[in-house]
Amino acid sequence: MQNLFAFLRRFRVFIFFTALQFICLFFYVQFVAYPKSVFLSTASGVNGRIQKWEGSLTNHFFLEENNRKLRLENAQLRKRVFVNFYKHDRPTHRIKDTLYEQEYSFIPAEIIHSSSARRNNYFTINIGEIQGIKKNMAVISPNGVVGIVFKVGKHFSLVKSVLTQDINLDVIVGKDGPHGLLKWDGYNPRIGIVTGVSSDLNIKKNKAIYTLGASGIFPKGLKVGTIVSKSRVEDQALWKIEVLFSEDYRTLQSVYVVNSLLQKELHSLQLEIPEELE
Amino acid sequence: MKNIITYSALFGLFFCLQVFVFNRLEIGFGAQIFILPLFLMILPFDTNVFGLMALGFLLGISVDAFSNTFGLNASSLVLFAYLRPIVFESFRPREGYDPLKIPTASDMGWDWFLVVFGILFVSSLLWYFVWEIFRFAEILLVLRNLFMSVLVSAVAISISQFFFFNERKKK
Repeated sequence: MQNLFAFLRRFRVFIFFTALQFICLFFYVQFVAYPKSVFLSTASGVNGRIQKWEGSLTNHFFLEENNRKLRLENAQLRKRVFVNFYKHDRPTHRIKDTLYEQEYSFIPAEIIHSSSARRNNYFTINIGEIQGIKKNMAVISPNGVVGIVFKVGKHFSLVKSVLTQDINLDVIVGKDGPHGLLKWDGYNPRIGIVTGVSSDLNIKKNKAIYTLGASGIFPKGLKVGTIVSKSRVEDQALWKIEVLFSEDYRTLQSVYVVNSLLQKELHSLQLEIPEELE
Repeated sequence: MKNIITYSALFGLFFCLQVFVFNRLEIGFGAQIFILPLFLMILPFDTNVFGLMALGFLLGISVDAFSNTFGLNASSLVLFAYLRPIVFESFRPREGYDPLKIPTASDMGWDWFLVVFGILFVSSLLWYFVWEIFRFAEILLVLRNLFMSVLVSAVAISISQFFFFNERKKK
């Protein structure tokens, strides 16, 4: 017993150090791997409010750029509004349209905190549980993909940006080209990497990359970026394709959260695939 | 008593500077400015190591809550605090440390400050990036981020040493 006390006294500094490190790294691993709550993140209630207040001060610096982007998007959407179309036939009775069913709905949100210099970057957005945000919803911007909802607080949520280690977005080269996986290597916040494209395929520079939408989280055909260069992966018959993101994540402010209305059906269908086939 | 007020104010100042100024600067090339270790560095020589670690933990965890790093800053600062007495001991001047001085560049001289703070700073940042990236395949990214961050932080910290901790000499 005395020996034990002597041991504890002798190594008390190291034991205290280990205990504190254990707490810190437990927090870190818990947050990154199994997020349970928004406590100790910028999406927590008090913290979110401070960020929002601070964001309202700094947002003005990018106001012009963001206005331009939104105007551009508005103009494009306006083209599709039915009021602007001349109608050739005048139906005398109303039919319930069963040919089209809405698959995605979009919830607008503002980014109140973001980073782009870290290995894993997160955004905090100003909507949460109350507005119907759920984990794993897609987040997009007028110019492309942004990320996936990682953790939901009451009024704020944390979004895992495309600029993280394990984003693994399924993408397609061109409108009908080969499929690949989008990753980010941590070096440049403007450049992403697409892997998984066989190197016997001819990939052209400046071709656009779109989302594949295979998991039903992201709508199909959203622009991700354009190809800037390609190189062969060592020892593998694959291309490593560098993609210039169409969205600049460093100045992004307004985004949309995508509510995939058919996601549940797709997911339950995919659950029925026998495991050995996967 | 006067010391407690001064250091509490410094605690708040470092917190605000890191969260609201330096975390917002997008320098690029993986460079981030870390100034929190400087707070632990300039605490008096006779500060208890338990107190140092507890302060590092507190400061780190509060900054983490505001920058989505979830405990990484706290972890690297606790390491800094743990190593500080060990490194101080091995760079002790022959006559020992003067209790009236504090561990800043102006009190202890630039040679001493650069070496001691450099060793502590690089090791705590290395710890930070290794945990953040946590992949052996990305060791080059760890080194690049470490190199760039040490470079820009060194500039920021040297400037602070020139402007804010120089008063004692004038007296």
